[in-house]
Amino acid sequence: MRFLVPCLAATLLSAAPALADGRTVTDDAGRTVTLPEHPAHIVVMHEPLLGIPLMDIGVGITGSFGRKDDGSFVIAVDFIDSVLGEGHPKPKGFGPVGQLDLERLRALEPDLILASELDAGKADQLATVAPVYLQNVGSAKVYGFDVEEDLAALVGREDAFAARKASYEKQLEALRANLPESADGKTYLAIFLTDQLNVVGNSTGLVQAVEDLGYKRLDVGAPSGAAPAGGGMMLMPLSAEEFGKLNPDVLILLNSYMGGGRDEAGTRASLSKIVPGWDKFMKPALEDRVLFVDPAKVITPSVASAEHMLTAMESWSARKR
Amino acid sequence: MIKMTRATDGKRVLRLANGLQLGTGNLLAGLFLLLAALTLAAASTGLGLTHTGLSDLVRSLFGENLAGAEDFALWTVRLPRIILGFMVGWAVALSGAMLQSIAKNPLADPGLFGFSQGSMLMIMLLLVLMPAAPKSMVTLAALFGGLSVAALLLWLVGGERSSGLSIVLMGIAVETVLSSFGALLLLYLPTETSIALSEWLAGSLFQANWSIIAFFVPLFAASVVAAFLLGPAMAAYDLGTNMAMALGEPVRQSRPLVLLAAVVLNAAAVTAVGPLIFLGVLAPHIASFLSPAVARARLFLSGLMGGILVIAADALTRSTDGALPLPLGLALTLVGVPLFILTLRLQALRKLQSH
Repeated sequence: MRFLVPCLAATLLSAAPALADGRTVTDDAGRTVTLPEHPAHIVVMHEPLLGIPLMDIGVGITGSFGRKDDGSFVIAVDFIDSVLGEGHPKPKGFGPVGQLDLERLRALEPDLILASELDAGKADQLATVAPVYLQNVGSAKVYGFDVEEDLAALVGREDAFAARKASYEKQLEALRANLPESADGKTYLAIFLTDQLNVVGNSTGLVQAVEDLGYKRLDVGAPSGAAPAGGGMMLMPLSAEEFGKLNPDVLILLNSYMGGGRDEAGTRASLSKIVPGWDKFMKPALEDRVLFVDPAKVITPSVASAEHMLTAMESWSARKR
Repeated sequence: MIKMTRATDGKRVLRLANGLQLGTGNLLAGLFLLLAALTLAAASTGLGLTHTGLSDLVRSLFGENLAGAEDFALWTVRLPRIILGFMVGWAVALSGAMLQSIAKNPLADPGLFGFSQGSMLMIMLLLVLMPAAPKSMVTLAALFGGLSVAALLLWLVGGERSSGLSIVLMGIAVETVLSSFGALLLLYLPTETSIALSEWLAGSLFQANWSIIAFFVPLFAASVVAAFLLGPAMAAYDLGTNMAMALGEPVRQSRPLVLLAAVVLNAAAVTAVGPLIFLGVLAPHIASFLSPAVARARLFLSGLMGGILVIAADALTRSTDGALPLPLGLALTLVGVPLFILTLRLQALRKLQSH
């Protein structure tokens, strides 16, 4: 009992400000969560999937799982710099990936913890620090930059999202008018290269932009149970043998963040290791229908990533003209 | 009435009025391990980002209110990890020590017999069918998985005259099959379930909280009683099944009981922190190096050593200053295996000297 009393008291105390000045919402996992009316210290459990969409609508994030104490990112790519441009303040970390540190998290004094369905098992422990909202990010549940729209509604920044979307649509219309030929009914296939071939998932700016232009994803069969890691960014793995037979109107290739370059030369080299000679026999390669893009710019579920994808398509179509 | 006397092997023992006797070496080793556990736990309360520790804990216990961060660090993060870590380590080590006697094999542990894999497989299946299953159901699934493997093992090895070696060999076979199914499930589960399970399989005290401890405390208390009641049978089983029967041990009744205790302890530990591979082998070996023991003393010393190893491993994971991800399973290996190698080497040297 001696142990339970302080815990109960701490829980009640930490919940008290939210209860006094908050609103109750239901998150994507069906949990009832009481949030502050205007969360000022938001931490995210997944920066590319949750942090970037928030920052894109002008909401600063205090902490991000996967960053180090000095604000540097654990993987080679810093998504804030690559998607939103350099100069943005960097959130602080709260433990290395795979080992969340509750004390570090609490030291950031968050008033809202944004997590995804991938973190459902951690929600109870995270809730000892601050209210936890679980947002769907999986490809089967959300599409394009839906995550950004959902989060904008959650933090009361619908106007900022509408402005970002209007800017995106303007760029989209301009590009559509300048395409050498209509994209309506044409097919695309976006492949993210790791040590295998992964079809890029729905919950990305890339898919939003390409499909808004009129392209349809080439049918490569329904996703099997063997979902690759990466949450909403990836849809399904694809066999190298199957890949060699495909002929989309546009083949979009993205190289892994790890090792090798994310430019055309690096991507070509990576794909050659998985599908040797692909550029000698695949029709999209022979007919110059391959687009190389930097995943660090286009893969997040944000309007900014969709705009990066439109810019990449613009450069590509200008080259084709 | 306690009398100091000598056992038949010449070692000093304390003999109680009711006939119970306790080797003084084992008693001293037990006190040493208890002291070591308390010292480690006390030191571990000071590990972490927040500047707090034992002195704040003592002040808090005497009713003084701590600041929010210190209170949170001690009562929500560190103490639950230390207490649950000790109990889980105790449970796995006790389970391993029991199984080693049953199998008359020093390599036996819940993993080798397939109990851990049975529990894990059942939890995985439950999470596939019911992703939002409550924790109580997860515990029951783990228990059911472990017990099913134990029942299967008993059925496969046949009657009471089956040897310890046949149990080990059959256990390895069952464990291999279950591990294959587990790997297959992990590969084909939805990403989110697969990631969550992978983290859990690496072992973690992240989920430690007072409600899990409240669930574990009665089990821990029951394990102390079980060690006391089943301890004498362990001494008989250490001599082999046939000799145990010759000594009057009711193998048909006691062996399933020992297996049941081992499965329940291991399943609860697996549910709380994931599988702690090799702890069931490590702890009894290191404990027996410290003070060779049989029966109850061996079980208690093994349990204490298991608890100490997990507290030390958790302390290591929390002392990396947030720079290095160190799962509990890996930390346990880093702490336990050097000790294990050292004890084996010292034992070998001791044998060489005696010849």
